[in-house]
Amino acid sequence: MMRLSGKLRSAMIIGGQGIRARKLRTLLSMVSLFLGVLAVVVVQAGAGIAERLQLADLELQVGKDGTKALYLPSVTGAGQAVVDTVNGRTDAVGLLTTSAVIGEPQVRPINEGGSPFDQNWGGSSQICDNTGKCYDPNAGRPQGQAIELRITALTGDVRDFRPYRPRSGQWLDFSTTPMLAPRLVLNEEAAKGFERYHVPAEMRVNGANADMTPQFIGVVKDGDSQPHAYVRLDELTNWMPLSRLTDPNSGYSETQVVMAGSTPVEPVLIAKLKGLGAPDVAVETINSRKEMKEQLNLLRMIFLAMAGLVLVIGAAGVLNVGLATVGERVEEFALRRAVGTPRLVLAGIVLAETLLTGLFTAGAAIGVSVAALKAASILLGPSEPFLQGVEFPWSAGVSGVIAGLVAGVLGGFIPAIRAAGIPIATVMRA
Amino acid sequence: MTELIRLTGISKVLKGQKEPRTILDGVDLTVRAGESVAIVGRSGSGKSTLLSVLGLFDRPDSGTYLLEDRDISRLPERHAAQLRSSHFGFVFQRFFLLKHLTAAQNVAMALINGQGWQPRRERKARVMRALEQVGIEHLARNRPAKMSGGEQQRVAIARALVREPRILLADEPTGALDTETGSIVIDALQEATTRGCALILVTHDRDHAARMGRILDLQAGVLSERTLSPAGGPTMVLPQIGGPAA
Repeated sequence: MMRLSGKLRSAMIIGGQGIRARKLRTLLSMVSLFLGVLAVVVVQAGAGIAERLQLADLELQVGKDGTKALYLPSVTGAGQAVVDTVNGRTDAVGLLTTSAVIGEPQVRPINEGGSPFDQNWGGSSQICDNTGKCYDPNAGRPQGQAIELRITALTGDVRDFRPYRPRSGQWLDFSTTPMLAPRLVLNEEAAKGFERYHVPAEMRVNGANADMTPQFIGVVKDGDSQPHAYVRLDELTNWMPLSRLTDPNSGYSETQVVMAGSTPVEPVLIAKLKGLGAPDVAVETINSRKEMKEQLNLLRMIFLAMAGLVLVIGAAGVLNVGLATVGERVEEFALRRAVGTPRLVLAGIVLAETLLTGLFTAGAAIGVSVAALKAASILLGPSEPFLQGVEFPWSAGVSGVIAGLVAGVLGGFIPAIRAAGIPIATVMRA
Repeated sequence: MTELIRLTGISKVLKGQKEPRTILDGVDLTVRAGESVAIVGRSGSGKSTLLSVLGLFDRPDSGTYLLEDRDISRLPERHAAQLRSSHFGFVFQRFFLLKHLTAAQNVAMALINGQGWQPRRERKARVMRALEQVGIEHLARNRPAKMSGGEQQRVAIARALVREPRILLADEPTGALDTETGSIVIDALQEATTRGCALILVTHDRDHAARMGRILDLQAGVLSERTLSPAGGPTMVLPQIGGPAA
């Protein structure tokens, strides 16, 4: 272990003695600094938590950066073109999403419109086709034991592009023979619904020839707050024609293709869609993580600037107290010089006091932040899911310590120079 | 006896006023190890300035200052601080004890000065030894507020002695004390000379000055050696200055 030099040790010991001798003054300095350091810690912690929450779910929802996404235009035969092009490939996956209801037939679902189970979206759901005609699919039906969810049929394993996190069970296996009873992987919200409500295992999909008996094989986190299920396309098309699944006029459907940054699928698919009469096919490269990070960083900078301002005001308080203290300790500093203390150590004593004050303040601010976050997590966690299990980001603690030290240097620098300049003759003339 | 200090032609002029004022005018002085020297003179005669120059608080405008044959007349502050720590001990009229520290901590202050580092145990032993030398080791844990003036001044002397200095500079150390207590303080200072430490005492007190080996009179910046007549009689000024006591 590196041993501290005599000068540094002396400065730290005398600084510590100074703090003990002036506890109230140190406390007042800490109070003036506390808000500034707390602001820095809170901004950093808030930004860290927001970034973690936002970025973590963003990748699940829209895909990894660099992934290309193509939304299918409303042209007849587009769905078939997609399936023909991407089927069996690993560098491109088609996602054909529609609505499904699992449970009692001919009833109004518990979460009408596929809403999250703890949020009531209210009113009846309206479906509008691309001609603008809207209707309530559950009009006149009684409330029953059924759950409505979005169901996405996949042509292949999408996890290379959207890294869904397994929670239990298993993911879809595309290497086996398709089964007649479609195997479903639920997201966490859907799993919550099926755990809470016991509904008959009967699934209806808009446009299907008959109701199906689904099998739940696993649960994943997909970043979606609505109930959602994933199924192999070939298991779903056992029960309904592809044309109905991708019917642009159904009002339910949405087809998307996600693919690697450079794949021959892209030009082939675009050419096929243009051949079907699609006027304009847009391919979007996912860059959301970077964009989100930039936005968060901008926000963080704005808030940090404000926190910095509060910190400077706090440092001015420390400076004020420091100057007053040096003024009162002229004889002490002159005497210390007389007994051989170098000017540098005198400056070090004052800086050690303000730095220790800054460190104590940082410790207090970090402690308060950790306790507040813990309390918020315990008290508000049940109603605010983003607060559940949230942990204090220790990078914010490091920022707080740095802020405390910077404020200590800012507040102690001028008093330190003053202290170092006190003439020894002061003790002779006293 | 070993020669510790030799001042030759030391002058100090106070500037910054309408007319520069000469405070020290060609002072010559030699001090040897174990010697005790009293510097007397009227207020404003330059005694404290001379002590400042001797203690490296201030630099002379001209002249030569030899400390153990080393010229330190123009020493940079960094080195001056080292020498103050290693060679000098200071006792002032006011005790300058830090009220938030105990007697032992006040003495240890001279050891925790950024000039080297001693382990806590060694530091404590030296502090206790210094307090013993001035006879107040039993007050080690007391704070200044609980001590008498004489005790406080003895703590200040212990602080000056703790680094075992070669030269002890005392500026009116009994000025704030009654005669009896002042005498005890002078005893403590003189005790140090028996261990080879030179003592330079600035005082107005004739009795205390008389107890020193030599008496030097500073008048208008000029130093001369003299003897005091008993019971405050006329003073005989000796022409020779700077030499050891006769």
